[in-house]
Amino acid sequence: MTKNLPIFRNLTLAIFAISLITLRFYSTRPVYRNGDTVRITATVFTDPVSYTGFQGVKIAGLTAYLPAYPEVSYGDRVVVEGVVSSGKLKDPKLISVSGNQSFGSLVRKRIIAFYQEVLPQPMSGLIAGITLGSKGTLTADFWNRVKLTGVAHVVVASGTNVTFVASFLMGVMTFFLPRKKAILFVILGIILYLFLSGFDAPLVRAAVMALLAFWAAETGRLVTAWRVLFLTAAFMLVIEPDWIGDIGFALSFVSTASIMLFEKRIAKRLKFVPEVLREGLTTSFAAQIGVAPILFVTFGQFNIWSPLINALVLWTIPYIMILGSIGGVLGLTFPFLGKMVLWLSYPLNWWFVKIVYLFG
Amino acid sequence: MKFWNYIFGVLLLILAMAIIALTQLPDGNLHIIACDVGLGDAILITYGKTQILTDGGPDKSILSCLGKYMPFWDRDIELIISTHPDADHSSGLTEVVKSYKVDEILINPIDSGTSVYEVLKKEVGGRGIPVINPVAGMRLGVGLMYLDILNPSEELYNDLAVNNIDDNMAKYRISKDTNLYSIVYILSFKNFSGFFAGDMPKELSDRLSALAGTGGVNYIKIPHHGSVNGLTENLLKALMPKFAVISVGKNMWNFPRPEIIDMLVKYNVKVLRTDQMGDIEVVTDGTRYWIK
Repeated sequence: MTKNLPIFRNLTLAIFAISLITLRFYSTRPVYRNGDTVRITATVFTDPVSYTGFQGVKIAGLTAYLPAYPEVSYGDRVVVEGVVSSGKLKDPKLISVSGNQSFGSLVRKRIIAFYQEVLPQPMSGLIAGITLGSKGTLTADFWNRVKLTGVAHVVVASGTNVTFVASFLMGVMTFFLPRKKAILFVILGIILYLFLSGFDAPLVRAAVMALLAFWAAETGRLVTAWRVLFLTAAFMLVIEPDWIGDIGFALSFVSTASIMLFEKRIAKRLKFVPEVLREGLTTSFAAQIGVAPILFVTFGQFNIWSPLINALVLWTIPYIMILGSIGGVLGLTFPFLGKMVLWLSYPLNWWFVKIVYLFG
Repeated sequence: MKFWNYIFGVLLLILAMAIIALTQLPDGNLHIIACDVGLGDAILITYGKTQILTDGGPDKSILSCLGKYMPFWDRDIELIISTHPDADHSSGLTEVVKSYKVDEILINPIDSGTSVYEVLKKEVGGRGIPVINPVAGMRLGVGLMYLDILNPSEELYNDLAVNNIDDNMAKYRISKDTNLYSIVYILSFKNFSGFFAGDMPKELSDRLSALAGTGGVNYIKIPHHGSVNGLTENLLKALMPKFAVISVGKNMWNFPRPEIIDMLVKYNVKVLRTDQMGDIEVVTDGTRYWIK
């Protein structure tokens, strides 16, 4: 066997993947043009954003601004009519809306409602955003400040948060259990979490990417881990070529890569931090190194304080997510216990909100 | 020991929670907060752990205001008042009903048929919240606070088409002039009193100026966001308030109108506007009162 064969194999694989993605990308472009009057029947895959008197709903890649009521929520099946105008649907009319009655989606709705019953705004919106990626629960004012301070990417659980939690759990579990067993527990935990989130596509892909890559990194050689990460990403793009323009997809990929690259090094430098905080800090810092530049370029809102603000709030994310998930699930059957767990998360949420208001 | 670290972490969180809770303990004063909800009304009256919310503004932003002025563990609002079914007053109430335990709702039995009102009706009905229909002359006691209802009077309903006489949120159908049915009341707390006017029009202001009693009030929520079809000089002379709160945001009608501001200035009333000051919190111990 010659030495350069693996490189040759990798290259062939890469070229093959890229051409497949390109082919899929161009063969799945939408067929409507500007000025077309269309009637779209589709499932709402992202949380509608609420404004005074109306709501912004994304349907099949087009944004439609509909009246605030009847309320459209994540997972609903809607029929909307309107005129296509560069990515928007002008003069949209909501013909019908029917709720998603799937178990996962009902659970998600019920948990978000529980957050709102137990915690005040904007903390309830924050925990719903961080834990379940619900944008609709945030108040407009808080959302604006979150964007201004440059922490929007963590407030609406993009895949980045899942990456945080996967890596965090991995770190915690390997203390108690042998590596291979620990990974099984982490996978189980993440699957349960995905179930709660109603199998939201961005969260699922982030979880798959992070789990496969970390698994490979923990059990095998680093090279294998990188190959697994790239292959997973390529495979996803072949199936869903639209994701290539999806900032969330890029963020999940980069944060996973970034954690693989930097986590161990950062952990060494943070020896002085108390152990309870260290795991959360290292993971979020490591991810942040890769994610921050992308955010500054794409969101275009560069806040000079943003790196500082991120450093001040990021460590709370894994804890808020874990307490939020446990509290939410408990709340479904034991409201009192769920409330207690969510109250534990209150100081963390409080801190996050205060920092955002201080700088926003 | 990793395990003890986590126990320690949990204890730390409990301590942090207790410290934050201490800073949110209610004092012994009555607070009236006109929430900055843009163009619309949402006024929270809170005394100890008792709260009365009058209208909910046009959207969710009321929830931030409640979160800010109520302790985090208090998820119970004793009474909500929906002065009339217009969207800029009642939309936010739907959100409040979804997130808080509401003991009672004071609301007119008039159905404007809007989608906003239908949703509110459904949420209130679905949760079995007791509904009270107001009528002029009624007196409600909530803790140490008393509400004297001045409007609507019984006669007002005579012109309306009956919808369903058993439905206390929709006895009558209404298509216009919802402002005329605004719930108007005087709040009394010890020696302090405030006049809450909803969106009442001019003719009602004049009619109520005769009824408002002789003592005057300390505080007035200016009707209809400072529209000229709201406060009248007769009413102002009868009430002689010290503070006038105008709940208003960006709008196309030029609210608050300069005529109203001039009138208030002429009678030496201090004008407080949510579009300039954000949330407006007036505090009283029952005798003295001040802006926080």
